[in-house]
Amino acid sequence: MSREIQTDRVLECERLSCPMPVVKTKKAMEEMKPGEVLEVRATDKGSVADLQSWAKRTGHQYIGLIEENGVFRHFLRKASNNETKAEVKFPHTMSNEELNQKKASGESIIVLDVREPAEYVFGHIPGAISVPLGQLEEKISQLDPGKAYAVICRTGNRSDMACQILAEHGFSRVKNVVPGMSQWQGATESDE
Amino acid sequence: MANKKVAIIASSPGLETAYKALNIATAAAALDAEVAIFFTFEGLSIIHKDAEQMLKLKPGNEGLAEGFRKVNVPTVPQLLDMAKESGVRMIACQMTVDVMGLEKDHFIDGVELGGAAAFLDFAFDAQVTLNF
Repeated sequence: MSREIQTDRVLECERLSCPMPVVKTKKAMEEMKPGEVLEVRATDKGSVADLQSWAKRTGHQYIGLIEENGVFRHFLRKASNNETKAEVKFPHTMSNEELNQKKASGESIIVLDVREPAEYVFGHIPGAISVPLGQLEEKISQLDPGKAYAVICRTGNRSDMACQILAEHGFSRVKNVVPGMSQWQGATESDE
Repeated sequence: MANKKVAIIASSPGLETAYKALNIATAAAALDAEVAIFFTFEGLSIIHKDAEQMLKLKPGNEGLAEGFRKVNVPTVPQLLDMAKESGVRMIACQMTVDVMGLEKDHFIDGVELGGAAAFLDFAFDAQVTLNF
């Protein structure tokens, strides 16, 4: 049984030996846009260590790995140049700690996770709703503008944009959680 | 991240040398490194147009042929194409080319001819230097 995880592209590297998975991954990533997610399917056992090293060296995000019937499914997200340094424009923010306290005290707040589905799958705040930034505008009608939202991504960039979109649509109780999941110390759950 | 440089010398005979040098070279290029390979003496057969006939497994290693097929290891021409495509510089040693009575036409496209200094100019700044 192969489980569906939504990505922008799937790269078939089954039955290919070293160095092919790494070489093909690099080529595929070059053709993708920043922020897009690539799934690399490989049977080469060396790909487990290799693709993580590759991501570390090239600065892309290694999201996670699922091993399934001898196939290693690697999930990688292409980095954007401004990602490491968040340029926060939405004025209303809350820290990771504040959000954690609010959740612990039972305060009614909806955590909106705007990362890509593959990132969400490998670890998110319990109860968080997944709406990738790219789908926010089409799904905005499913959200209640009267409720309070804590919007979170990996480093506070995408969630900043999401807050601005929500504010434009009349959501008034919206806060961007900074820095976001990359530094999250509270509880997480995964759908793996 | 600042680009790393990997300088490789391929000077030994056989298919094994081709794989050692080209695997490291293509992987290094995929890791955003600048790569140059200096082909000299028997290593020149790797970039020779008749490489397929010239590159054999070492005596005693013939059994590996089965493993190469089973693991689906890319062929030497495939690795050379990938190397070229990813910008790996391939330098044929002018001196050994002359000694062996070869010409530039004997080698695949994309190979440059150069002396030791041309390679060393690149290798001086390399963080990784390998000899196969």
